[in-house]
Amino acid sequence: MTDDRFDGLVTAHHGEIYRYLRRVTGRVSDADDLSQETFLRAFRALGSLPPEANVRAWLFAIATNLCRNHFRSETRRRRAYAAVGAEDRGGRDPGPEAETLFHEARDRVEAAVALLPLKQRMAFTLRKLHDLDYAAIGRMLQCSAESARAHVFQAFRKIRQTLNHLKTPCTEARR
Amino acid sequence: MKQMPQVCREIQEDLVATAVQEAGARARERVQDHVARCAPCRGEFERYRVLDETVGILKREPTPAVEMAARAELQVRLADLRSRLLTYRVFDSPLGRILIGRTEQGVSLVRFLGRGGVPRLPGLEAVRGGEEIRRLYRELLEYLQGRRTRLEWPLDLRLARSDFHRMVLELTARIPYGAVTSYANVARDLGRPSAVRAVAQALRANPVPIVIPCHRVVGADGDLTGYAGKRIGLKQRLLAVEGIQTVRKPGDLRVLREAMYVRDGHEPEYCVPTCGALPRRSLAELTLFASRERAESCGLRPCTTCRPDLHPLPR
Repeated sequence: MTDDRFDGLVTAHHGEIYRYLRRVTGRVSDADDLSQETFLRAFRALGSLPPEANVRAWLFAIATNLCRNHFRSETRRRRAYAAVGAEDRGGRDPGPEAETLFHEARDRVEAAVALLPLKQRMAFTLRKLHDLDYAAIGRMLQCSAESARAHVFQAFRKIRQTLNHLKTPCTEARR
Repeated sequence: MKQMPQVCREIQEDLVATAVQEAGARARERVQDHVARCAPCRGEFERYRVLDETVGILKREPTPAVEMAARAELQVRLADLRSRLLTYRVFDSPLGRILIGRTEQGVSLVRFLGRGGVPRLPGLEAVRGGEEIRRLYRELLEYLQGRRTRLEWPLDLRLARSDFHRMVLELTARIPYGAVTSYANVARDLGRPSAVRAVAQALRANPVPIVIPCHRVVGADGDLTGYAGKRIGLKQRLLAVEGIQTVRKPGDLRVLREAMYVRDGHEPEYCVPTCGALPRRSLAELTLFASRERAESCGLRPCTTCRPDLHPLPR
């Protein structure tokens, strides 16, 4: 692959890889580091990539792998949980009431996603926010496609439970 | 919490799957049938459906502005990585395991590996390359099979150890196919006639053997002297590819001078080795050619005294 094609790859996929990492790590600084590392690794590994490979899934796999290594440190994991919800929210305008409720629902779901265990959070984000198929997610998380699917469903149940705990489930917001 | 009826428990998984758009057609139908009749499950279905909708909002959210800053920083780091990345592959060539590596500027490493691994390369980061390196190897193979006389590769001589080494290498790169000359002659051309040993050192450290044909440089008496450590057999084979014959002598090999045409210094003519106009000189000031074609392809004319065109050497 030529350098030009790699530039094209950055243009096409950096945004979504960044969002994925931002969502899974919960921290802008981690997303900065890990997204850069993802693409630097990809650049180094280009030569070993078969020409028919799915480049997008491959990038997500590199990002996922880096993330898992990153979270192997327990302290970091705790810090990330604590940081959840703290960033990027302060500046939002309080709109009309309906919109506020709408945003609240969104924020609560986001917070609930952030509280998921890492594997479920990854599976959920890869599937529901980035539309990857279960076989690919399974390969990234080193489990079967069935387990990947189970992680996503478990994630939905956990989110639902978390929202119940908040006493005002997101469902109420839209009624 | 009341015990959920059996039928509701059984349909829970499909219910969630349907609500979050992950169910197949049959499950969907069963769930729709069920929730039409069961109010608590209808409520549950609705909650999951709304949850899925909210997730859809997260999905459609624009990429945050900080992403652009991260991308700009990535571009800077990528440029740095590109400038010091060496992509390589190792091939089982007719000359044994051989490594070919290149940077974005050009081919920078050709190494006979023997049993060794990828060498340490100061200032460079080595990673496995792909098709671009295989293409180089295919050309090298054609060269070794005698089907190609030039490897017109862009070179990156940053692995040369000094500017002097680089100068020696650049000069050596000009020795034509099918010709040999001596370390002393290279030193002379360099304007440093006494630097014979330094020239030999520079060629010993040649980072791109074959491409820069250091095998075309021999001792002043025609001895092959050395190649890639002690692999003198490789030098002999590379010379043989170009039609240059060698003979054994105790402890070494020597080019068969009697079978080669001769050019004296920078004269525009070539002679047979017995030409009377040729001063009796050591190889220190001569270049030898494997054939008339090789000499003439460098623009040389037959000597008017010995007339190698009329009295060529026996093949």
